[in-house]
Amino acid sequence: MPVRVAESSAPSQVSGAHSEESSPPICSLLTVGQAFSGTQNVSNLQKEEAWRVNVRIQGCDLEHGYLCGTMEALNVPMADTPVVTFWEGEIVDAKNYTFYTGKWEATPEDDIRHWTKFPSFAPLLSRVEADGGKSLDLSNYPYIFMRWKEQYFVNVGTDCGLTIAGFYYVCFSCSDGSINGFYYDPNSRYFFACNSFLTYYCPFQKLELKCANEGRSGFSFSSYELQ
Amino acid sequence: MPTTTASAVCTTVGNNILLRLTSGERDVKLKALRELKNQIIGNRTKKLSFLKLGAVPAVAGILSDAVSAVDVADNDENDRIVKDIIVQSAAVLGSFACGFEAGVRAVLDAGADILIQRGCLVEEMPLLKSYMEVVDAGARSLKMIYQSKMAPKYDFLQEENMEFLLSLLNNESENVSGLGASIISHSCKTSLEQKLLFDAGVLKRLTSLLGGSLIQRDASLESIATIFKNNPEVVSQFVGPDTGRTLSCIIEIVKDRFARTRLLASLCLIVIRNASPCYLQDVGIKTKLINNLLELLDDPGRVGDEASFAFSSLIAEKEDMQKLAFEVNGVDKLYNHLQKGSLHPRRFEGILLALADMCSKLECCRSRCLSLQVLKLVVDALAHDSSDVRSAACMCLRSVSRSIKFIQNLSAGSFMNETIVIPLVRLLDDTSTAVQVAALGAISNIVVDFTTRRSTFIRLGGVKLLVQLSKSMDSTIRLNALRALRNLIFLAEDKCKEEIFMELTASLLASLICDPEPSVQEQALALVRNLVDGRINSVEYIFAEDGIILDAVGRQLRIASKAEIEIQGMYVLGNVATGKESHKEAVMDQLLLRAENKAQSCIIKFLQSNDSRLRTAAVWAVLNLTCSSSPGSSGRLVKLHDAGIVSHVKNMVNDPCLDVKLRVKTALEQFNSFDDSLASTSCLQFLTVRAVGELSHVVDPSSKEEESIANYFRFSMKKNKKKKSTRTVKFCFDVPADSL
Repeated sequence: MPVRVAESSAPSQVSGAHSEESSPPICSLLTVGQAFSGTQNVSNLQKEEAWRVNVRIQGCDLEHGYLCGTMEALNVPMADTPVVTFWEGEIVDAKNYTFYTGKWEATPEDDIRHWTKFPSFAPLLSRVEADGGKSLDLSNYPYIFMRWKEQYFVNVGTDCGLTIAGFYYVCFSCSDGSINGFYYDPNSRYFFACNSFLTYYCPFQKLELKCANEGRSGFSFSSYELQ
Repeated sequence: MPTTTASAVCTTVGNNILLRLTSGERDVKLKALRELKNQIIGNRTKKLSFLKLGAVPAVAGILSDAVSAVDVADNDENDRIVKDIIVQSAAVLGSFACGFEAGVRAVLDAGADILIQRGCLVEEMPLLKSYMEVVDAGARSLKMIYQSKMAPKYDFLQEENMEFLLSLLNNESENVSGLGASIISHSCKTSLEQKLLFDAGVLKRLTSLLGGSLIQRDASLESIATIFKNNPEVVSQFVGPDTGRTLSCIIEIVKDRFARTRLLASLCLIVIRNASPCYLQDVGIKTKLINNLLELLDDPGRVGDEASFAFSSLIAEKEDMQKLAFEVNGVDKLYNHLQKGSLHPRRFEGILLALADMCSKLECCRSRCLSLQVLKLVVDALAHDSSDVRSAACMCLRSVSRSIKFIQNLSAGSFMNETIVIPLVRLLDDTSTAVQVAALGAISNIVVDFTTRRSTFIRLGGVKLLVQLSKSMDSTIRLNALRALRNLIFLAEDKCKEEIFMELTASLLASLICDPEPSVQEQALALVRNLVDGRINSVEYIFAEDGIILDAVGRQLRIASKAEIEIQGMYVLGNVATGKESHKEAVMDQLLLRAENKAQSCIIKFLQSNDSRLRTAAVWAVLNLTCSSSPGSSGRLVKLHDAGIVSHVKNMVNDPCLDVKLRVKTALEQFNSFDDSLASTSCLQFLTVRAVGELSHVVDPSSKEEESIANYFRFSMKKNKKKKSTRTVKFCFDVPADSL
């Protein structure tokens, strides 16, 4: 989701991923076509804002730990229309990706600090601190951890005053399809003095989404197949 | 002044030569044969014109007469002329067959191959065989015949044939041993034949020929590749003390100075590697092979044409090889060749297919293609004269677009929608079925679109064409057309769906669901699944024309045995079950309809399937039918219970698949949330309620059979916490009147 900061940085590319539906999904609620809606709460030292957000999954390739989709932010103060971005996700599966980001200016400390905001991460913490979680078998864990990185704006220009420099730490609940996320953007830090020490504060940006059934009573699923 | 044309001169000369071939004098005949040979060698036009004059049967006749005329008692001079006639006539026939299919046909029709074999190579003619010229001429000619696909199949199963073959291979003459190798390359097709040849010990001889002359080396490489191709068993038996030496020898030949030899050596190693991946795993060898083939593309002749096909067979389906090829700039090199323009169709086809293989799995290759503007050249190739090139261009586009990320980049980038869609749509009407199928493959990826490309496709008449193709007699075309339609309908807007449905019609959809081909049925169901998804009014489509689509879906579910069909069918019903009450009831009707001779609903079979995807789909249907927010859900729950479906769901509480387990958990919570729940044996919970000063009631679950319960209880329990430690429970009983 775009956040308001002075600098902008180019979105990074995820390499080596492509979209195929060859193996069964980990969770049927995290499949192509699924929609989620909720809010992103943007809280910083100056003010608090809440944007309504809709997300849709467009691509999913479990073998490579990849998924992608769009994110639509409504009632963004600076924008006349809803702002849509295309994002790509890394699924933390201990095979393709671990809990340590290793890029996007996120240190292992940043990683742990964000993952621990999710209660469902607590049982995994000690193993993650030991080896990044490489030895974990997450295939039967009822939560899926991901990083979502927005790549570009779909319907507005880059001069819209918003940036997509950071990324989300995401936790998806397999049982009800709810999504929680925390946005991380090193460029959004505010440095200030506190008790003679220079320290920083990151704006609090929380994403909370629920699986949307778009007016239906129950959940409907569609699919495509890339040849 | 009128002058005689070149063809008229040719005909005159030709007639003159043919006339002299019929001469009774052997000297005249011999001279004519030599002249004929010189006329046609390397000259396709002359070969054709002499063919039309009947030269081949005439020369075959001469050969036959000469072989019969060989007389051991005759004088040396006559002997020499007869043998020269045999040599020259064999050479002429071989020349006709060299790279000229019409010539091969004529030679075979005249029975000349048998004549040459008997006349020049078999044991019955020991005197002839002493003439190496005769043997060599015969061998060379037969080799040219065996280079053609039209050559007769050599029967390795006949013992005398195998012996003859071995005698050829063991012959010192490079032409004769080369002939033996050519026969293997041409005729060895089945794994049985490969095993027979291997067991006969031909590999040992072929391996020794690797150190022979150029002709022997090339012929041997081709034969070794033929014996190993797609036969892991033979390759594994190859393991022995000599294996390392043979492989090293072939690896060395990859650096040979002759391009054709380098190509053949590479092909040989690729065949071995593909048959048995435990060989040639070293990164150095793999990189050497890749680089070698990319360099061979520079060869201007047939070697360069074939190098890209060899490259494809090296990297196809292998992500590690594609990655290595990418790292040595494989995409750029292939692109550079494409840019040269005016490519021979075979070369063009090969490079496009090589690019298709490069981009089949790796995003980095697709991105590189996009940034190099490869697509523009590929799109131009969609209009090429050669159907093979058009087909290859489609496969390249399909490969490159096998990625949502790529499709998104395409939308975001400068590559115009119409540039790619227009020529593809045109190919849906192509005269070649293979091109149509390939175009359908590319289209089915590109229409998975979240922007405007979809509407461009529809506006250009793409839907009409796809629907037309979905009625094709060819099941491959039907299947691929449906795939494209299915993808096109995925998350489509209402207006788009309406246009597609109007074109398709309910009756066509219903008949496709019941198509004789299972894969067509599957795609038709997947299409309907997408059709009824989206806004809630989309569900109505399945009820069009008195619900024939829904009936077809239900019917197919009751008789299908393929999991993929069942999964799609269940998701159709599951999706419809998210609609209004009437929709849910219609799904119930379908589910509870029993198939002939079947005691239970098909959904029970699905709930017990080994395929977790099918179990998931089935549980979702149950979940949607018993959704708490729907007023009729409790009634449907009763019916599902009566049909035994609820108890099956409950038995899945510890399903090994996490997704299924979680859905079942949700289903059970949903079941328990109803005010009216059944007191069936499987539903009964051991319930102890203790309330201060109030009745304690224990329901005994020990009676297993519902039938054993005399009275049918319905009770509702309302938990109402007034105080911390007490619960107030209300009971109401509905007791059937006849039990009173």
